[in-house]
Amino acid sequence: MRLYKKEGNSLQILSSPDDDVEKGDYLIVEDAMVNRKLITQVIDVQFASVPGLLEELLRDSTAEERICGENFDPLGVSSHINHIQDARMLLCKIRGTILNDKLHINSSWLPSRSKSGITKISINSLLAHLKDKEDLPINIGETKDASPLNITAHDLDGRLNIITGKKGTGKSHLSKLLVLGLVDYKATVVVFDLNGEYTGLGFSAKGGENEYSDRIHVLTPGANFKVFLAQMGLSVILKIMIHALGLPGTSTREFKRIWKSLRQQGKFTLDDLGEAIRKCSCNLLVRDALFSRYYSLVNSGFFTDNEESATSFEKLFEKTKKDGGALVINLKDVSSVDRQIVLEYILGNLVKLLNQWKIKSVFLFAEEAHLYLRETYWEDIVTRMRHFGLFANFVTNQPDTIKENIYRQADSIFLFNFTNERDLETVSKAARVDSETVKSIAQELPPHHCLLIGRAVKDFPVMVKVRALDIKTLGQTRLFFER
Amino acid sequence: MAVDVSSIRIGETETGLLCAIRGAIVWREKNRYKYQRLGPFPFHITEQNKKEIYKLFRNHHFEISEDPRAPSITNIQARIGNLLERWLQLGISCSTYGTIILWDGSMTAGMVDSPVDEMSRLLEIARNRLSIVLAFSKNTTLRFSGHKLTDLAEKAEPPCLLQINNFPFSSGPVLLLGDVYVAKLTRGVCSFRLDIDRKVPQERGIEAVQSLLGSDLLVQSYPETLRLAHIFSTFTATEVIGIQRFISQQYGLKIITRPNVRRLLFGPFGKGAEG
Repeated sequence: MRLYKKEGNSLQILSSPDDDVEKGDYLIVEDAMVNRKLITQVIDVQFASVPGLLEELLRDSTAEERICGENFDPLGVSSHINHIQDARMLLCKIRGTILNDKLHINSSWLPSRSKSGITKISINSLLAHLKDKEDLPINIGETKDASPLNITAHDLDGRLNIITGKKGTGKSHLSKLLVLGLVDYKATVVVFDLNGEYTGLGFSAKGGENEYSDRIHVLTPGANFKVFLAQMGLSVILKIMIHALGLPGTSTREFKRIWKSLRQQGKFTLDDLGEAIRKCSCNLLVRDALFSRYYSLVNSGFFTDNEESATSFEKLFEKTKKDGGALVINLKDVSSVDRQIVLEYILGNLVKLLNQWKIKSVFLFAEEAHLYLRETYWEDIVTRMRHFGLFANFVTNQPDTIKENIYRQADSIFLFNFTNERDLETVSKAARVDSETVKSIAQELPPHHCLLIGRAVKDFPVMVKVRALDIKTLGQTRLFFER
Repeated sequence: MAVDVSSIRIGETETGLLCAIRGAIVWREKNRYKYQRLGPFPFHITEQNKKEIYKLFRNHHFEISEDPRAPSITNIQARIGNLLERWLQLGISCSTYGTIILWDGSMTAGMVDSPVDEMSRLLEIARNRLSIVLAFSKNTTLRFSGHKLTDLAEKAEPPCLLQINNFPFSSGPVLLLGDVYVAKLTRGVCSFRLDIDRKVPQERGIEAVQSLLGSDLLVQSYPETLRLAHIFSTFTATEVIGIQRFISQQYGLKIITRPNVRRLLFGPFGKGAEG
């Protein structure tokens, strides 16, 4: 391999067809004279532009169609000619420099074209250069050279991560892997499970309980997850009324008054609330508005007057405090309005508990969050709530549903295959990687392979085959035709 | 059946010249073209070995082996190319029967690499085996009444053969072994000088051209078989790089680019050949 060209942080390396180099591989350009090494990643492999190649191919294509014959080449020169025809140009991105065995993230140094040696470096030896300590490892899978790839739980702690890729590439699988990885280290995880995919986390593939079964708590709103009205603070119920049920300002003021009066009387059943609205001496339209929201609350089945059947959010988190655990909020078969009611309740209470230091921090995994997370929550979660200890991990197959500023703030992106240019364009807005890398590598990722970008891999994008999990698979598409 | 040979300069060494030659034979069989390519054969020609190489080629071709005066290094590349071509032509003449043999070039004999006796022998062998040689020249220096020979058939309706009768059969040592025609065989802007063996009856020569028209594809009056022979023998830039790689690997030569003196002296005005 020979260094051919450098433009900005892009390198072009001329490679022979015998060199075993593929997209995503890392190469070291070593200039022995100055004891410096440049770390580059191959983002595309092209044919080298060799003069006369077109004539050669035209001649060969003529031959294929209507002419056949033999070559008498006793010296075997043809193999050398074929070698030139197959010469490749590796398009690489400079990721850093090693100077005196220390890694520096800069690309200002230019190695010698004539004297530099270029060699392939395994991902593991590269990561050995990068990572100082390996505590709390979470094994993601294996790299191209079949060595295990670990990130650490620290890489998810206090971070914003995005898992994205097209349908059926293994996003949810990776998300489950991260959830269990965090639970292993006694972390508290909340999962917004849109399709009931995470409800099998506590079961092995064969169906029996697994090591996580007592730490996975599946909560189905309206079934085993109901709340008692009295447990709810005014701020939480107001968020539900305003954001989930769209209560207008005037009606909100009236509702606030009713709520305060009920609290003073110590009456907090649904019936009490209904009665209070009925008796309220307010404008008829306001009363109608309050009634319609009241019935939405009643019909959601999420609220109960029976204190014993109600779920205490605080107690739920108590369960996870000692050994960690995941609260899986099963939103399958929950209508969109009810989903928002549940979400407003959970997020409102989470913030409250975090604020009061009743829980240390929570890792939130949200699948297709655009379907239930209101606009204003995005930035709130990403910026403000992070400081309270709520660390978001968004999982989506529609990258354009996540705002550009979220991508810019993402610490790590777990990128699965995307074919659509527009999707890749969206993801490429992430601040931690150049768009060429995203576009070039992600388009050719096979299923269950992802490109890790960002802090988790110290800004050295790495392709990884996500490892299998021994858990019950749920959430698969139901098919009409059996295979 | 057509034969063509190409030679190319690969580079220079401190002591001589690196060149390569390749020959191609193309023939038509059951509506398909077939080819046999020989080479590439790289040569390192120095003042010390040029005579030996030249002699080797001549001995394979010319029966009467006189002690040849080897040409200068700069001319030897073309010479050994010509000798390989003659050797292939001889091989074809000897091995085919009742065939139309197409040569690239003319039937002019009496020059260093085309001795009259040998050229006559090539044609004679072909004649004896009821084959006929047609030699197509893309370029000719011959002029008739001040006009370039190939321009004479410009307005003629193809297919046509215009025989040029007034050329002297010999001029000094140079001898024309063929009847010279201007051939415009298909529509288009091109016409070629065509030499047909002088010792073949004229009617048979014309019949051979008619047969060629019926059996081969002709584009711009040029036979496809001969065109393919040219294409298969010619070196492309990739092949030159491949041969350079072969030489450097096989013989441990290091390739360096010689400074372009014209560019050094004249900068952007230094156009033209390197050196």
